[in-house]
Formats: sequence, C-alpha cells, structure tokens
Amino acid sequence: MALILLEIALYFGLLSLLAFGGMPAVMPEMQRIVVEVKGWTGPVEFVQLFAVAQAAPGPNVLIASLIGYRAAGFAGALVATAAVCAPAALISYWVSDVWDRFKESAWRKAIQKAIAPIVVALVLSGGYVIATPGGTPDWRLWLIAAISAAGVLATRLNPLWMIGVGAATGAILLS
Amino acid sequence: MAATPPRSLTELFFGFLSIGARSFGGVLPWAHRVMVEERRWLEPADFAETIGLCQFLPGPNVGNASIVLGKRWFGVKGALVAFLGLMALPFCWVLALGILYADFVDVPLVKAIVTGVGAAGAGLFIGTAIKLGRTLVRQPVALVLVAACFIAVAIARVSLVYVMPIGLALALFAARKQWL
Repeated sequence: MALILLEIALYFGLLSLLAFGGMPAVMPEMQRIVVEVKGWTGPVEFVQLFAVAQAAPGPNVLIASLIGYRAAGFAGALVATAAVCAPAALISYWVSDVWDRFKESAWRKAIQKAIAPIVVALVLSGGYVIATPGGTPDWRLWLIAAISAAGVLATRLNPLWMIGVGAATGAILLS
Repeated sequence: MAATPPRSLTELFFGFLSIGARSFGGVLPWAHRVMVEERRWLEPADFAETIGLCQFLPGPNVGNASIVLGKRWFGVKGALVAFLGLMALPFCWVLALGILYADFVDVPLVKAIVTGVGAAGAGLFIGTAIKLGRTLVRQPVALVLVAACFIAVAIARVSLVYVMPIGLALALFAARKQWL
C-alpha cells in the first residue's frame, strides 16, 4: 500500500511538472501511465473517469483524485491530488515573485505579449480535444460545444445554464 | 469603481470556495465571474495577465492562480487558504460523483448526459478562449501563432514538450520585433 502511494505521488508529481497549459495537455501521458504502464484502470474506465471529472465542478486535475481513489482508495485520492498540484504550486509561488519584481522590464512585457496568443491557442485546443474524444469528430458533441461557446460569448448567463443545456441535449442526441 | 483586493483571509477563502463550488465544466469562466464581475477583486486586464502567467506555468491554471493571488494579497497563508478554498468542495464532489457513477455506468441515459456535460464544458473553454483572444484580432502575426499552435496541439497532437518552447520562442521573437 505504501509502495503504490509512493508510485502515485511520483507519477502524478511528474505530470504536474509537464502540464504546461493545464491538464488537457497531459491527458495522453496520464492515460499512458495509468492504463498501459501501471494498469490502475482499464482503457474504457479511464475515459469514464475523465468524463466524470469533466462533469464535476472544479479544476480538471480532479481526474487524478478519481484515479488515485481507484488505485488506492481514499488515501490514493488524497495523495494523487496533492502530487498533481504541489510541484506546480511551488513553482507558481516562486515565479510570481520574480514576475512582480520585473514589472517594468522590457523582457517581461515581451514575454507577456508572447504568451497571450499561445494561451488562447491552448485553451482553444483544450476545448477542441475534449469535444473530439479519440480525435473523431462527432457533430452532436460539436453542436453541444458550439451552443455553450455561443452562450458564453453572447450572453451574461450563468455558465451552469450552458451545462444544463449540454446535459439535456446529450440526453436527447446521445442516448 | 476600482477593484479592491479581499480584506481578510475569510473573504479570500469564501471567494475561492464559491469558485470551486460552482465551477461545473471548467473553472476559468467562474474565476472570472467571481473575482472580476461579482467581488471585483481584480481589474479585467489584471485577471487576464494573472491567468496568462498561470497558463504559462505547468499545472492546473486556476489552482496556480489561487496560489499567486493568495500570496500577493496575504503571503503564504493566503496562498494556502485560497488553494484549499478552491479545491475542498470539488474534491468531495468528484469522489462522490465517481462512486455514484460507478453504480450507473451501464445506464445509456446516464452516459449520454455525462458526455453532453463534457461537451458543454469544452464549449465553455472555446468561448473563453475567444473572449481572451478578442484583443488579438487586429494582430495578424498573433493570429498566425494561434492557428499554428492550435493545429500542432489539437489536430496533429504534437506533445507540448515541443510546442511550448518553439511557440514561445517564435512569439518572443515576434514581440521583440514589435509585431505583437
């Protein structure tokens, strides 16, 4: 038990450091480790856990909690969640200081301008990849995604409405 | 009305708790709503800049933002309080939902609803990306970078280990040339 907790800590800690652009970026690597290397879940179960983490509120790192739970119970969930957050949190804690200190530097201003288009592309990619599981376009999923994107852009409605519409549309189109 | 940071750790905690509690389908839109629109802790430009930094860092974006902002306002205590506030409810929620879902995994309707919710969450991401990208519309070089990065990551599924340094180097070059 102690060994599996240590493995969870190491693997998810590694994923934390690789997750430039957030969790969607490391999903393929996470799938490889969890399903192919360690066998903590089967391939189908992995996809289901991903969907449940998507459906729950909160950062999508919470798929780590679900995998940890499946691998080693409640302790596994706690360890996986802490491991996937802690290294990145420590880096953020340190970097934000440096970032503030160079507020007026030309390099910081250049970096900020440079990051903006990359961030837009990565958030967009995250949305695209989630709405296109397995890389196979499905017009029903794209329609649901388009409706909720339009809702974010055109209204000031609570995003929960878009989620509700997605659940209802999913029940009609996908069952 | 100018933005005012939270006055106490309690206010900070409950602000992030309310982000975590309601953040179905993605935290970013809720972080914006709570911190910029409801509580007015941050100016929109300040929010975009902080998120920009956190998306550049590895790890969960809004999780990192809770660390950065908590630290800016209250030091180590603030970082811990904001992070725990953000994570506490979603952690309990996701475990409860995971245990519940395991019992209903074979019901097609449940599966359809969960998938629909996932797609709607993806749409929230896309809408948020377009919102953040509005300022780039008049910059052709930035649009080319967005398109190239998107094709590499989303379509060609190239690892971020390659895309991030190359994309950032090109963007930095463009920024130094005043193209961005």
